[in-house]
Amino acid sequence: MRLARYIIRRLLLMIPVLIGISLIVFMLTRVAGDPAAAYINEKMTPAQIEQVRENYHLNDPIWTQYWYWLDGVVHGDWGWSRTAAMPVTSAIAYYLPATFELAVVATLITVTAGIWLGTRSAVKKDRPFDHGTRILSLIGVSLPVFLLGLLLLWVFYSQLDIFPDGGRVSESFIVANAVPEGLTGLYLVDSLLVGNLSLFSDVLWHLALPALTLSMAGLAVVLRIQRSSMLEVLGQDYVRTARAKGLDERAVINVHARRNALIPTTTVVGLVFGGLLGGAVLTESIFRWPGLGKWSASSIGRMDTASILGFCMLAAFIYVLVNLIVDVVYAYLDPRVRLG
Amino acid sequence: MPTASIEGNRETRPAKHRLDELKADLKPRMREWKRSWILMRRNWTAMAGLVMVGAIVLIALAAPLLAPPQGSRDPMEIPADLMFPKPPFQEGVPILGTGDNGIDIYYGIVWGARTTVATSLIVVLTAALIGLVLGAIAGYYGGKVDEALMRFTDIFLSMPALILAMAIAAILSRSLENMMLALIIVWWPGYARLIRGQVLSIRESSYVEAARAIGAKRNRILFRHIVPNSISPLIVSITLDLGAVALTAASLSYIGFGVQPGYAEWGRMISDGQDWFMSIVYYNGVAYTPWWVILFPGMMILMFAMGCSLIGDGLRDVLDPRSRR
Repeated sequence: MRLARYIIRRLLLMIPVLIGISLIVFMLTRVAGDPAAAYINEKMTPAQIEQVRENYHLNDPIWTQYWYWLDGVVHGDWGWSRTAAMPVTSAIAYYLPATFELAVVATLITVTAGIWLGTRSAVKKDRPFDHGTRILSLIGVSLPVFLLGLLLLWVFYSQLDIFPDGGRVSESFIVANAVPEGLTGLYLVDSLLVGNLSLFSDVLWHLALPALTLSMAGLAVVLRIQRSSMLEVLGQDYVRTARAKGLDERAVINVHARRNALIPTTTVVGLVFGGLLGGAVLTESIFRWPGLGKWSASSIGRMDTASILGFCMLAAFIYVLVNLIVDVVYAYLDPRVRLG
Repeated sequence: MPTASIEGNRETRPAKHRLDELKADLKPRMREWKRSWILMRRNWTAMAGLVMVGAIVLIALAAPLLAPPQGSRDPMEIPADLMFPKPPFQEGVPILGTGDNGIDIYYGIVWGARTTVATSLIVVLTAALIGLVLGAIAGYYGGKVDEALMRFTDIFLSMPALILAMAIAAILSRSLENMMLALIIVWWPGYARLIRGQVLSIRESSYVEAARAIGAKRNRILFRHIVPNSISPLIVSITLDLGAVALTAASLSYIGFGVQPGYAEWGRMISDGQDWFMSIVYYNGVAYTPWWVILFPGMMILMFAMGCSLIGDGLRDVLDPRSRR
């Protein structure tokens, strides 16, 4: 099956890229002062520190060091996070669900709102709706994420008091021990699993502002691409044919035009996700969202390079993976790609 | 724009011919530039963008006049009265108010314009130059050089910009120069890819073939014919990236990289002031939420990024050969 072969080919191509990323991160760890610092915590004696150097072969030539570092990385030893007071891999596992939840909701907003607005904007070209969305798109790409977050907080929390000012759940739930532990860590899912609907709506209420903040930049980009791609499709012959056949305009747009316009948009989604990872650092700091972004932001303040580099390496891996998935989806949607 | 010229060995062409060659090149090029400008003028959003960016550049250039530095202090250090924030447009308060530690917001805006414009220009132009040279060489000579460059840029491009900038800035000592260095490292691979693609497609055109046929050397073809004709997308990219770099630099300063607190940089001013943003201060008995601490620097960042975006989009439409005749 051609699609399977395409997938395998892309997976194999991914390996040199991942190795390249690991090389860059490894070189950064060596430049950042004493490499042993990543594996030391405050309680160690000088003899223990020397033992650490032995274990990680830090006195050996650089390529030996890389080999043992890579071996450590593959087996889950990414160093010690001073910020989280636990190994970096544990910190990642601890903070990942919160960020994953936020990222998924933000991506949903970006993709659905962006595609809908872009499609509508193309259909109503040069009318007020179109002008409005184009201004929205321009502001979305030019407004810094942190500024948007602060402004949303000020309007909706400070002034209007509609949304909370941070965190994932309200104090009352934490105090009442109502927050489920040990399930998926995604509070939206967990609350449904235990059947606590008020917790579900509380989590949703807390998610609103951070997810909106995170989604805006990506929304602006998706909106633009969808609009221009839709305009191109609407000028095609097969759309004229569909209209000539007497099809309802809504059917022409939704059934024939839009799915072909989606093809360039999917390629953009991967890039948008990369922006999401960076934006999460800023958004989580502002809304006190206990996720990977806030963890890395705190690490920056404490010069905790092990945590920062661990986060960056993880983000890069996730970005590569997401782009791979997007490419496969693109190949599925557009047969010309995998046959070419 | 292909132009006719006298090829052949540099040593054998007399100086007069070289000068004639230069003049023969410039006239049609300048005609095209003039046409580009006329087309741009018709695009009012691009003109609006030009006004926005132009205003900020003017402010940056005129900083010593607009906000004279006090005494022998480093002009980039914002003067502070070390008190809580005071509201703008009041008696006895600097015109745009004061922020965290009592920094003069107006001063910060004016000198911050210098920081932003300088940072964006230096980063983008350096990255573009590096990318141009490497991409042109890789695209033209092909083979192993091209393969190596492609793998190398692949790795850099597979990491999100802010994340990679964070990683590099994290290990260097905290300074504006190091932040610029991190941003240059992040941005050059994009340009290398762009130029390489352009070179690859132009390499096969008929005028390049003609130049080869009459005996022009490879370097000459590369830098005299191919590179000038790949410039258009490069210019668009540079303009758009000026805004993108400004945003990323502001984000990095906001997180805590780059400059120290109290330095005239818009992102820093926002991060220093954000705690005040959610609280209440009193001045002359009236209660305020210090919105000016965030809004003024924020507006400037927005204006610069928006302006660059509008100009870049305008340039893209203008330089598209299909819409020029």
